[in-house]
Amino acid sequence: MSQPVLIVGGGPAGLAAAHSLATVGQKSILVEKEDRLGGAPILSGYAKLVPSGEWAKDAIGGMVERVEKSKLVTVRTGTTVSEFGGQAGNFSAKLSDGKTVKAASAVLCSGFTHFDSVNKPEWGFGTFEDVVTTTQVEQMISSGQGVRCPSDGRKPKRVAILLCVGSRDRQIGREWCSKICCTVSANMAMEIREELPDCHVYIYYMDIRTFGLYETSYYWRSQEEFKVKYIKARIAEVTSDGEKLIVKGEDTLVKRPITIPFDMVVHAIGMDPNVDNMLLSTIFDVELEPHGFIGKKSSYGDLGATSRPGVFVAGSATGPETIDDSIAQGHAAAMSAYALAQGAGKIAAE
Amino acid sequence: MPIHEEHLIRPENIKTKENLVIDGIDVSGHWSTFIESRVVTDYNEAIEDEIAALPGGEHIHRCWQCGSCTNSCTVNAVNADFNPRYWIYLIRMGMESELLRDKDIIWQCVSCNKCTYACPRDVFPEGVMKATSHWLELKGHTPKSPSMVFDEVFSEQVIETGKIEEGRIIRSFFKRTGQPLMQDWLVEMVKRMVLKLPVKMLFTLGLANFVRPRTSNWGGARDAIKEYAAEKHAEQRQALGLDELVEMAKQEVKPRLPEAAE
Ligand code: SF4
Ligand code: SF4
Repeated sequence: MSQPVLIVGGGPAGLAAAHSLATVGQKSILVEKEDRLGGAPILSGYAKLVPSGEWAKDAIGGMVERVEKSKLVTVRTGTTVSEFGGQAGNFSAKLSDGKTVKAASAVLCSGFTHFDSVNKPEWGFGTFEDVVTTTQVEQMISSGQGVRCPSDGRKPKRVAILLCVGSRDRQIGREWCSKICCTVSANMAMEIREELPDCHVYIYYMDIRTFGLYETSYYWRSQEEFKVKYIKARIAEVTSDGEKLIVKGEDTLVKRPITIPFDMVVHAIGMDPNVDNMLLSTIFDVELEPHGFIGKKSSYGDLGATSRPGVFVAGSATGPETIDDSIAQGHAAAMSAYALAQGAGKIAAE
Repeated sequence: MPIHEEHLIRPENIKTKENLVIDGIDVSGHWSTFIESRVVTDYNEAIEDEIAALPGGEHIHRCWQCGSCTNSCTVNAVNADFNPRYWIYLIRMGMESELLRDKDIIWQCVSCNKCTYACPRDVFPEGVMKATSHWLELKGHTPKSPSMVFDEVFSEQVIETGKIEEGRIIRSFFKRTGQPLMQDWLVEMVKRMVLKLPVKMLFTLGLANFVRPRTSNWGGARDAIKEYAAEKHAEQRQALGLDELVEMAKQEVKPRLPEAAE
């Protein structure tokens, strides 16, 4: 009887890995530190997902249900791994509830942490109520409340979305592109324009990175069908005149300083390495890559390999990642983990 | 007071008050010189919608400022200030005063449509140039351009008679633009036509100056076109808020009337 696979993290990647293993009859233990499965899309209350357009609670909710119903997946919520030892094919993990479990292999699907906007104080988050994050706007939409200014509940007439908040910024030690915020912001701009047709939405960008097919379905569509305006400028500061938020910067295309009044300013927050990565790195003895995400050993060998044989990684634990790609990586890493669990992995692990 | 690097500042942004006293201190003349801020303090969202409501301007919101139109532009090659990409941006951001600075060159577009073929987003910049010139005229910022007058004379005649009759068009065009009929090039052209054209054709051409040729049964078509044109004009006036402007002006004038009577 083969040993189970240990999956750390119950977001899109972890759910995909558990499901994948179950479909081939392989047992797994899914450990999640929060009290529910679903990861960021569920815990942070995302609205409609890119690119499917499905509500997060339906799309990811469906994945959660599938895993929870499976007899082959043991779900442990509110639990973390405190010790991890052994070799590929024969690991032993001590959980925070005191229990010890055996595992043939492990898949880290520990995800990311949203950038905390208070670390960019010049952009007004935490100082002005109507400066919010993309996550907050997602919640306004997914809760059915609609996009409203938090200060007084009014419908905004003019919204600014600032891209790259917590990304591509050496000042705060975050040099990576968070990959998905451009597309998410274009999508959000369209959702705002759809709900509030009288509200003008401006996106302040340094580059627009709506990669691949997102170019037309998000960037072009937001301009052509929803008349969202894009301004090439990195905002210097967000202040207030007591009534409106004042966005200051340089409109680079006309070389003119701007101080424009807005009702609401949205920070398109980036993806930080999971705050627990140092701890995870110590417990599982895996190396982190220079930005602080979990390092991938090679893209061309075992799928999802880390620096430690038998421990694999998938999803945004490895760096900013889309939900679709996280799911694909979860399935892929499950394949590597499965090989070990079946005992055929001895050679692969070397 | 001397301003260093004065050439970097637009002359109209340097303000000086002839007579100014602040807190009892006379700061008239150069003592009161100050430089007006170039800061853009608001967006005027109406302008883009107004231009988009005019024929040719419909796709302005698609522009992503790549500059292909300006790079390919015939007029830009001879005058670097002629910059469709830049004007499209000013319109989109509602920077009206900045746009008006170039009101005397925008109409110079020669409608070669090179930009139309270069634009990756199908903005139809040539159409936007046309709509912008039109907008400048309708709003009273520029007089009607000669080419606009020509278009009007031309279309009026076609709508009226269903036919194009060059002699009349040229005569009305010259009349409306205040040009003399006897222009050297025209006299020369007519002379050569008389020498080269077959007699029958000359006769028809000549006759057309006295008997106005018409397409038979044109009346119905004419009325339909006129009605359609009037409808479109009304739509445009409404989009640009022109009738409201007239109303507002009337309202402002009215209250003064009783005063004048007193
Ligand atoms: S149509 Fe006008 S704007 Fe376009 S390339 Fe020709 S001259 Fe320039
Ligand atoms: S070519 Fe088209 S998209 Fe590019 S700047 Fe000109 S109008 Fe805009």
